[in-house]
Amino acid sequence: MKKKRVKQIGVLCAAWLAAWVHAAVPDYQVDSAQGPRLLLWVSSERGRTEPEAVAAKKLARQGVTVWSLDVPGAFFLPQLPSSMDQASPGEVAEWLVAALDTGKQLTVYAVGRAAVPVLRAAALLDAGQRGRMCVLLMYPNLYQSAEALADADYLDTGRLDGLAIRVLQPRRSAATPWLPAQLAHLSALGARVTPVMLENVREGYWARETPTAFEIEQAGQMDKLLMQELESCR
Amino acid sequence: MSMKFPGMAGALSVLALLWSTHLSAAGLESRPAQVAPAFLAKDLAGQSHTLADYRGKVVLLNFWASWCPPCRREMPSMERLRLKMAGRPLVILALDSVEPVEDVQAFLTTMKLGFPILLDPDGENTRRWKVYALPTTFLLDKAGRIRHVLKGGAEWDEGEALEAIEGLLQEVAAGGS
Repeated sequence: MKKKRVKQIGVLCAAWLAAWVHAAVPDYQVDSAQGPRLLLWVSSERGRTEPEAVAAKKLARQGVTVWSLDVPGAFFLPQLPSSMDQASPGEVAEWLVAALDTGKQLTVYAVGRAAVPVLRAAALLDAGQRGRMCVLLMYPNLYQSAEALADADYLDTGRLDGLAIRVLQPRRSAATPWLPAQLAHLSALGARVTPVMLENVREGYWARETPTAFEIEQAGQMDKLLMQELESCR
Repeated sequence: MSMKFPGMAGALSVLALLWSTHLSAAGLESRPAQVAPAFLAKDLAGQSHTLADYRGKVVLLNFWASWCPPCRREMPSMERLRLKMAGRPLVILALDSVEPVEDVQAFLTTMKLGFPILLDPDGENTRRWKVYALPTTFLLDKAGRIRHVLKGGAEWDEGEALEAIEGLLQEVAAGGS
């Protein structure tokens, strides 16, 4: 019984430490640069992590301006997929328009469930605006429900006609066998979709509790991956 | 957009995470008996397995991958269950979902398991059974019907999981269809 109590206290301490660490990474961050590219980086429902913040700074040093948003932190919501669904598409769309108004070449990078507010916002733009941006979705979770033995339901995001999307899919993921279905779903909404398979890594590989040596290496090179994707995304 | 109170948001997020963790351990979902989708997979020796091979027995069918921490965590309890149930009509099948066989073999050098490890290299079984998360486990009755589903890991040799298996084994002992 005493052991169990000690374990519970340990878990709570770890939880508060995690909260403190999370609090040390700002909800909204701008890394300015002089180059022609602007990257809007929307972190996953788990919040913004230190390796992501580091990668953003590295990109800024290479001339890419990065605006980073942690939706659960910014909207004061729990770190759950459902929190991402509560983000206002209108407000996110305003953010996209502000980014387009800079005149820079715009790419939006959304991780996990962040795909939902980003795509909903993109659907609110006119076709001309959508055509001026490109979206990178890292292991997007677009499901309304995905229960074993039943067909998955996708959340309604609205039409995405003309939107260029690249889906970055870690190979070591339960979503990998479902990638063709997800691509078909996005294509049916009018998007121009390209898959990119990331070999030998898991979802959120940059912030895993027990990363492999390869994942650690790849986490340190996230800026390179994104730079390559920025150049490919049209 | 409001960008305030990041610390408090973090703390609340942690509480939400603890709550969700508690829920994820809530246990098996019992379902009305349901005909199982087709299943055909080869083991590491190249031998084919179908569910019809095990008709008359209770089947624990586990979808897993070696890169998945909760999958790895629950494997020892499945092996303990196998040993505990020796001589009783229970079959454990662990289907590795969409991984190179080399990765599966490498994992098996770290853990001694006595039940069949099956392969699903192209994900056909995974898609047919509509498995969206790993691990996912199905308990089938002696007639090959799905009776329980669990998304997430479990300790299979104790508690609610063991009770469900015992329940299905009693049906075998009672006879009839």
